[in-house]
Amino acid sequence: MHPSAAGPANSGRAAEMALVERCRKGELGAFEELYRAHAGRLYSLAWRMLGNPTDAEDLLQEIFLSAHRKLDSFRGDSALGTWLYRLGMNQILDHLRSRAARAGQLTDGMDDAAVLEDAMAHRLDAAAIDRVDLERAIAQLPDGCRAAFVLHDVEGLEHREVAVVLGVAEGTSKSQVHKARLRLRVLLGRK
Amino acid sequence: MACSQYLTSIQEYVDGTLGPIRRAELEQHLAGCEACRTMATDLERLRESASSLGDVRPPDGAWLQIAGRLRQEGRIHDVSRSRTRLPRLAWAAMAAGLVIAAGGGLFVLRPGTRATTAPTAAQTSTAAPPAGGNAPDAKSVESVQNELAAAQTQYETAITHLEQIAKANQASLDPQTARTLQKNLAITDMAIADSSAAVHAEPTSVAAREALFDALRQKVSLLQDTISLINEMRKGNNAGAAQVVNKS
Repeated sequence: MHPSAAGPANSGRAAEMALVERCRKGELGAFEELYRAHAGRLYSLAWRMLGNPTDAEDLLQEIFLSAHRKLDSFRGDSALGTWLYRLGMNQILDHLRSRAARAGQLTDGMDDAAVLEDAMAHRLDAAAIDRVDLERAIAQLPDGCRAAFVLHDVEGLEHREVAVVLGVAEGTSKSQVHKARLRLRVLLGRK
Repeated sequence: MACSQYLTSIQEYVDGTLGPIRRAELEQHLAGCEACRTMATDLERLRESASSLGDVRPPDGAWLQIAGRLRQEGRIHDVSRSRTRLPRLAWAAMAAGLVIAAGGGLFVLRPGTRATTAPTAAQTSTAAPPAGGNAPDAKSVESVQNELAAAQTQYETAITHLEQIAKANQASLDPQTARTLQKNLAITDMAIADSSAAVHAEPTSVAAREALFDALRQKVSLLQDTISLINEMRKGNNAGAAQVVNKS
């Protein structure tokens, strides 16, 4: 690797390890720095995956408390953001699974034919899609559909990666994402 | 209406996973079918809009809750808090010297005084809904500072009110108890002045703001306890007075 390419990455990793070390020593300011750098991304992920800001805020707290407890296991093999993202994702998925178990259903509750018929009868306005409207519409999707859509279309994972993360078949990921897009066309469009 | 037999191809086209042969076939179809073309455009726009959604800033109270939980679990060493931490108040010295003063009528705390006059810092900082973007912009910083200033004003109003009550009824306390209370109030005043200076020097420091609200809360709590103590002493209730002191 060219030294100029390795330099910034190495110094970035060294700075991360120094920050982690300060957190391990119990320095609140250091942990606040870590929180400020990564909370936005994790909160957005949690909000979009869970569909509501209250659960997302609760989970954000659990994610960072858990991160603080597990900092000793952070060896710097991956970037701190990647480590936190993985930890956060696992907690979000656990939350979704327990919610599905409580609700006694794992299906998305959307009838394929009805979704298709409805989507075909709608179309989006020519104006740009408003970010707030889109966030609201995503929140209205059923859990399974929303999780697959957020991972694929928002987070940019491939269907095979979504399948691994959600523990479903690749075909299920495709079907959920496709259904979510059709449903969003209805929620954001007009007849 | 879009043709249902092309819908899977349209979705895979949007995914970028449609093979070259089926892609060519679909593009030929799209050229002649307005409904399917609109469907493909809409789904592409949805995917593009979704992929460009930015981060949402978490409510400000979230960090305060995390910091509070870490403190409860004894997992942190808070440098800025320890600098402004309130010294232990001198209740113990007072407990031994409690003398019940001859009582007039009891002073009645207004209903809800304890529960409603002193907002927590967390309550004051979670009101704003999340806004787009992770970095706080100038407006959000200003808005948080305004909320904090409003909360501080509420505390100060509550403190003024409680001080008036305590002062008007101080004669019910024996001199030693009154001196101890004055000493405790002076300690909390120093902590408030110290943390106010820290907030002015570093307005964006969460730790400094927390220290200030801690000091304000402690003063409100001390004044509330003082009034409870006055009430118990007026009733001639030694046990109740001792309970107030021990609780503090």
